[in-house]
Amino acid sequence: MPWHKRLWESGPYGWNQALTRPQVLVPFFVVAATLPPLLQYIENNSAWTGAEFWIRILTTCAMYACLAVSLNLVVGYAGLLNLGFIAFFAIGSYAYALVASDQLHQHLPLWSSLITVIAVTLGFALLVGIPSLRLRGDYLAIVTLAFGLIMRELTIDLDRPPVLAGHQFGPSDFNLTGGTAGIHAVDPLRLPSWMPLIHGAAFQSRTYYWIFLGFLAIIIFCLLRWRGSRVGRAWVAVREDELAARAMGVNTFKYRLLAFCTSAVMAGIVGMIDAAYTHNTFPDNFNVQETVLVFIMVVLGGLGSIPGAIVGATLVTILPFVLQQLVLYKYVVFSLVLIVLMIFRPQGLLGTVSIRPRATMGGTIELLTAESAIAASELPTVTDREAADLESASGAIVAMEPEP
Amino acid sequence: MTDRRRVLELRGLTHRFGGLKAVDGLQVDIDEGEIVSLVGPNGAGKTTVFNLISGVLKATAGSIRLLGRELVGLPAHRITHHGVARTFQNIRVFPQLTVRENILLGTHHWTRSGMLGSAIFWPGTMRAERAAEAEVHTAIDLFRERLEPRLEDPAYSLSYANRRRTEIARALAARPQLLLLDEPAAGMNPYERIEIAGLIRSMRDRGLTIFLIEHHMPLVMEISDRVIVMDHGVKIAEGLPKEVHSNPRVVEAYLGRRAASA
Amino acid sequence: MDYFLQTFPQQLVNGLEAGSLYALIALGYTLVYGILEMLNFAHGDVFMVGGFLAAGVAGLFIHNGVAAVPAALVVTLMVAVAMGGSGLLGVGIERIAYRPLRNANRLAPLITAIGVSLLLESVVQVQISPAPVLVPSNELIPQSVLQVGNVATPFTGATLFVAAILLMVGLDLFVFRTRFGSAMRATAQDREAATFMGIDVDRVIVVTFLIGSALAGVGGVLYGLRFATVDFFMGYLLGIKAFTAAVIGGIGNLRGAVVGGLLLGVLESFGGGFISSQYQDAFAFLALIVVLLVRPQGLFGQPLTDRA
Repeated sequence: MPWHKRLWESGPYGWNQALTRPQVLVPFFVVAATLPPLLQYIENNSAWTGAEFWIRILTTCAMYACLAVSLNLVVGYAGLLNLGFIAFFAIGSYAYALVASDQLHQHLPLWSSLITVIAVTLGFALLVGIPSLRLRGDYLAIVTLAFGLIMRELTIDLDRPPVLAGHQFGPSDFNLTGGTAGIHAVDPLRLPSWMPLIHGAAFQSRTYYWIFLGFLAIIIFCLLRWRGSRVGRAWVAVREDELAARAMGVNTFKYRLLAFCTSAVMAGIVGMIDAAYTHNTFPDNFNVQETVLVFIMVVLGGLGSIPGAIVGATLVTILPFVLQQLVLYKYVVFSLVLIVLMIFRPQGLLGTVSIRPRATMGGTIELLTAESAIAASELPTVTDREAADLESASGAIVAMEPEP
Repeated sequence: MTDRRRVLELRGLTHRFGGLKAVDGLQVDIDEGEIVSLVGPNGAGKTTVFNLISGVLKATAGSIRLLGRELVGLPAHRITHHGVARTFQNIRVFPQLTVRENILLGTHHWTRSGMLGSAIFWPGTMRAERAAEAEVHTAIDLFRERLEPRLEDPAYSLSYANRRRTEIARALAARPQLLLLDEPAAGMNPYERIEIAGLIRSMRDRGLTIFLIEHHMPLVMEISDRVIVMDHGVKIAEGLPKEVHSNPRVVEAYLGRRAASA
Repeated sequence: MDYFLQTFPQQLVNGLEAGSLYALIALGYTLVYGILEMLNFAHGDVFMVGGFLAAGVAGLFIHNGVAAVPAALVVTLMVAVAMGGSGLLGVGIERIAYRPLRNANRLAPLITAIGVSLLLESVVQVQISPAPVLVPSNELIPQSVLQVGNVATPFTGATLFVAAILLMVGLDLFVFRTRFGSAMRATAQDREAATFMGIDVDRVIVVTFLIGSALAGVGGVLYGLRFATVDFFMGYLLGIKAFTAAVIGGIGNLRGAVVGGLLLGVLESFGGGFISSQYQDAFAFLALIVVLLVRPQGLFGQPLTDRA
């Protein structure tokens, strides 16, 4: 069978295997990295002036790709419905804004602010995850949904000192989060000061595309390494059949927590980069619509598929700009797309998660018909007489020639 | 032979579902290297016993000792770590994992490989992963012709019999002391049953202790060292296969009073 | 302390009022969860649509100066349209979005549900109004304030409470005293066995969604009349609180939903009144976390069996 036919036949599992090989990923990133200079070149040599605009869109696209891949870790691999996912993105962006702006008069350099962002995001992830991950998936969904909402309200309310039971906690000029306006004049990312010559230089707006792309490469690398080792197998096992996973010695709570916290921290770091890029952060970053949008990206691309998440992110980000009318109706159209997908093709383009029960999976129903059991095996059927003879000749495994 | 270790000891094992006693005061002893069958009519509580031993359910009362260690109250994954592996009545392989990955899951509890280590190619982690891969090779030893060509196939594409074999290989990869087989011959034709019988004996020869639930009586008679019969949550007979076979209480449990006195 | 004693009755009444609204919506959640073991995230938005439908009817009559139509008739029409509209919406959602996934992976219908939720919110936001829409409540319902001792409550608030209680009692009677109600309870306990008993499970599910959504629709009307405004986002926060109420009472348990709703309303009212009105919503979230940590099955639920 020619290789392309064999690839097509291998189904989503095989396609994902093929698309995540280094031979495919490396060229992909190389090509993606050359897009901005390419666009600039085209602009310099023609009447077209859209380079700046499209580079900005590409940057947004790369950011959403990072978010989609991170969501894929928690929903696709581990099967956890984190409906407050975007809240961790927002927490990361606020955490960075607080240590890199005039809000708290802190201007931490790159590594310190990164560590702060990771610590804060991880803290919140543990706070939410530990109580709710022991429970069923639907409970986790509602807790994370509520979490996102509460965080949004908190960020709006914390521009003045909290007043509890009549007591004011904090000085009257306490303003942690900038309220509905958010925090502005956030520092851009700066190169570490120990670097010779370019130390302390701030990254230009345009370079954030490469920063997002670089982070995307890092998280894809990590995810692939994990998927191919004990951790990833444990995640899939917990997702596919929690009972059997526990019977095989997997501490399901621990692995769920690992997936949940890791994806939250990834989202937080994306938030940090975004805050540096746009120089601000605000409560709308917590909106649940954003979470659903990222869900749509992942479901469209296919749950459990990294290439799928990238494709989904690209489509959902770029389409509204290509089809101008779409921008206003973005959420309407995409939520419809999500619903239609779930009804007709829940596995999306490249998904590898068992959403519908498979007709071929055996079980108690199959046991009811001996014929189907025999048909399912590869050995020839046998008459009762032969069976009796065979069974009386006990002790020996009868070696059977497999059918050609 | 008194230097054989006592692998499993159930004392007064009781489990209630609401007001119903699914298992009542069960006492079982299994020594190393034995093949013991648990039989009884449907609803006798046999799978419940397995669920209690493997930690899926927490016993209402009684004790379960594995090589002297008390298992009641421990979470299921710890129990596996202490040396119990099981298969399920309605085969539970992980559909989206390949055969190889399914079997690797068996090695999970004794492989020291974590997130950080695998991400940065830490040598200790790499060694652990290689050891786990090697175990797969050992685990499929008993079904090499059947499973080896299919190692990279996702489990949902396997035939019923191959799924059963994968599940058993997965349990073996956990290097258990005690193997619980829940109706291993279900849905199998006579050839396959013979293969299973030989398999069980081979596993015993390699040092495993096997506790199995089975409905197919000829198979039970053939491979068991001892048979325990349950009905309505209570042990009603125990002994050599032949003894149990003709025990009137056992016949009554399966076929009713008149058959017993016939 | 004096402050506490003085305002306690007022806070209690406020809490019961808000709580009855939570209970009304919580019933819809718990009904659906009992039968399908699924959280209908779109339920809060069905409540919202009910409110908008009622606002639309009210606006039609009041602003088009269709004079001489008695207020009582308008209100009745509002309730009818809201109940019918929401009920049909709920049934439609079940039929189109949830039924195809009934036997699928447990998380699949949840993903669809949030899609439906976003769809409803964004359609209303874009097509109708991104800003809150006023409900001409003062022209439809007497705006008097009832006063008992030093406890004051607006008439609309008392109506909300009484109407909600009546509906809940009615539902309780229906589920526990009628034949169809026992069919519903049977389906909730074991769907497969119910089909063997000759129960048309599809019909039970449709009726469940119908009732739950209609109740949410009535909630929307009552909310609109009480607060004189509806907005596209109102279902979201209320939905989460109603779900919290259902969990507190024990999800799947009807009486639990009612108790949970009232309890949550009172808790929130006390928290908001005595601790901080700004962080009032956080109390609901706190309550949810505490219940899930300490007693996940809620007040009246069965202890959660090992999730297999």
